Amino acid sequence: MSNDNKNKILNTSKPTSPHLQIYRWNISSITSIMHRLTGVTLYFSILIIAWFIVYYTYSYGSISDKESCDCMITNIFKIIFFGAIIAIVFSLYYHFCNGIRHLFWDIGKGFELKTAKLNGYLSIILATLLTVVTIVITLYLKLF
Amino acid sequence: MKKIEIAPSTKTGFHHWLSQRITAVALIPLIIWLVFSLIEIALDPEGYLPVFFAYPLNAFMSILLFAVSFYHGSLGMRVIIEDYVTNKSKVHFYIMLVNFTSITTAVAVILAILKLHLIN
Repeated sequence: MSNDNKNKILNTSKPTSPHLQIYRWNISSITSIMHRLTGVTLYFSILIIAWFIVYYTYSYGSISDKESCDCMITNIFKIIFFGAIIAIVFSLYYHFCNGIRHLFWDIGKGFELKTAKLNGYLSIILATLLTVVTIVITLYLKLF
Repeated sequence: MKKIEIAPSTKTGFHHWLSQRITAVALIPLIIWLVFSLIEIALDPEGYLPVFFAYPLNAFMSILLFAVSFYHGSLGMRVIIEDYVTNKSKVHFYIMLVNFTSITTAVAVILAILKLHLIN
């Protein structure tokens, strides 16, 4: 271990989380890091949604009707917006499914390696499936 | 081998842990309600969205949803900050920032929902 590294470790008063660059991936670590990532995504998206509701409330009636425009910039923003919505929807479903898994662990159930692996895959697949269903419904209703 | 120094316990860990779980359980029905009301909105956006908060159940559930999720979210962000930020004063600063943002946003959005509920 280099001297620089040693100093770094001594300076921190507690061990840090797994260092992601030198980590061998498996389903349990993927579900765990995804739980955190989706949680952070949801936190920032709820902030934006909340301030949007505040903005909508206090400019009620004064928001002018959106003029439909076929400009390139508008279309690009639409695509980015749709992508962001999909990311948020996936985050919500995934955090919900994996959160239920965590709650089962907290009451002391589902610790067997096989069960934990199986429902880890299940939460990812279920979240993806629900996201696809949501996209299909949005496209079917022509919301975008 | 030098022993790793561990920061003294602040004795708030159990309360933090339990609050995180209680809010998680509370969020299960709230999220299910959210998904179903989003489907309802999607079926008739122009007609239903402007009067959404006029319905007592919608205003009630959405205020609960925002309050509980901001609490759950700031607890979760606190854990992430404590895990990934190594500088101690930065940790305290970011935790305070998250708490400040959560509380101000929650108050603002609850007032907004109440206003939309009462004017409609």
